[in-house]
Amino acid sequence: MQPIVDWLLLGSFYAAVALGFSLVWGIMNIINLAHGVFIITGAYIAYQVATNLHLSPFLALFFSMGMLFALGWIIQYGIINRVIRGPLLVTFLLTFGLELLLTDTLQNLFTSDNRFINSTIEGAGINLGSAHISLVRFISAAIAIVLTAALAAFLSRTRLGNAILATGMDRDAARLMGIDIRQIYALTFAISAALAGAAGALLGQMQAFYPTRGELFTLRSFAIVVLGGLGTPWAVVAGGMVFAFIETFLPVVLPRVGVGYENAVAFAVFVIVLLVRPTGLFGKAFYSQ
Amino acid sequence: MSAGVTGSTSTTESDLLLYVAHLDVGYGDTQVLWDVGMEVRRGEVVAMVGANGAGKSTLLTALSGLLPAWGGQVTFEGQDIARARAEHIAALGLIHVPQGRRLFAGLTVEDNLRLGAYTRRAGTERGIHEDLDRVYALFPKLRERRKQVAGLMSGGEQQMCAIGRGLMGRPALLLIDELSLGLAPIVVDDILAALDTIQKREQLSVLLVEQDVQIALERAHRGYVIENGRIVIQGSANELLHSPAVRAAYLGE
Repeated sequence: MQPIVDWLLLGSFYAAVALGFSLVWGIMNIINLAHGVFIITGAYIAYQVATNLHLSPFLALFFSMGMLFALGWIIQYGIINRVIRGPLLVTFLLTFGLELLLTDTLQNLFTSDNRFINSTIEGAGINLGSAHISLVRFISAAIAIVLTAALAAFLSRTRLGNAILATGMDRDAARLMGIDIRQIYALTFAISAALAGAAGALLGQMQAFYPTRGELFTLRSFAIVVLGGLGTPWAVVAGGMVFAFIETFLPVVLPRVGVGYENAVAFAVFVIVLLVRPTGLFGKAFYSQ
Repeated sequence: MSAGVTGSTSTTESDLLLYVAHLDVGYGDTQVLWDVGMEVRRGEVVAMVGANGAGKSTLLTALSGLLPAWGGQVTFEGQDIARARAEHIAALGLIHVPQGRRLFAGLTVEDNLRLGAYTRRAGTERGIHEDLDRVYALFPKLRERRKQVAGLMSGGEQQMCAIGRGLMGRPALLLIDELSLGLAPIVVDDILAALDTIQKREQLSVLLVEQDVQIALERAHRGYVIENGRIVIQGSANELLHSPAVRAAYLGE
């Protein structure tokens, strides 16, 4: 029972981790290597707000989202838009450079010490039969699912969301509709960064973080998005669940092999999925290139 | 539709919707269009015909702003648009229905149509609704398929959707690139009949770019023949249809 609960909560959290990464990849065809450090930046902002303003970390999440939204907008409008028509390698290298820059900036500001956001509800939880559900993890998972639903509704039901999808499908045709794709790209990147900021605020309450911790989350985002597929935010939840499933159950099924090998197995599954179903497990046709 | 161009004196000038002079356009280092001059008046259907690779699509891409002009003059409703961006030009009412439809394949028919009205700001939901009804009345097939994903429709339905999407932008001038390409003749006739209805009713101006010279010239008031990036013949559609040069080169006589 406990592994099932752990799996579902972790899988939902992973959806929040990879949601923004999936959006930027699907719409702009950019593999954003700075995604992980956006998450860590969000964790630091939530940490500062929660400690200095004595706010609940879940309220601090809104500060993280707002500041990352602004940062994302500036980075896309000021920098990435200039090379958006370049080959994939150019944006790849550019986001890699951004990743280094942001990580070093965090290191200068906050040192490389481990941080942890102490939640006011730390330790609280519900016992469900033999399983214990931590309240922090439960609320985090709920927020992750709400963010996914909100993004899905925004993209499919609003004029601006449709413009984002349209730009991802055919940017020249989008321009012919009068859509200013530079603004749309900036908005897309800003939303993606804001989602990373939210993931960071959740992360900081569940595990220790430090500036270079972001790399792990970029890598996981990549695996989760490939597993789930592009085209709908719900595919990210599916990918997150698959990744979390391997991570949670491998040590249970194979206790002697498991510990420490979760990543290797998850990426092995990832390669198999790529071979069998290149659009991912739940990717939709006609989205992205 | 606003009547006349500010500051214009003669009626012929205010009738002029699109005016192109000495237009040079190319990709990279390769020039495709040389010294192109043409015009479209209000309510007029103009055909631009020529062989594959003559530069017809390039001309439309330059007019709608997707491709920057190298030099020359493009005036629409009295405004210089030679260096304007595509999204700005679309908002002015010069709407380009591109070759190959270029629908947003993963979105529904109705979402595609709504995106055609993107430049209209919020609070105009009623106007958009009326325009949707107008497009559905013109192409009843689209109403049946409004919830269907656009990429899964037949070529003819996709072309209807592309033209409908163009009409949603309330165009003063509609540029249509290769309407007939890849479609069965009966489908082409249906679409052209619908287009004809709306063109007459709303005094819409249309620039038809076609490889199928017969189709284009039969519907147009005037026409241009483009060869190797230059306008080589122009005249009334009737003149062109009966011109020995055009018949020899394009109608297989």
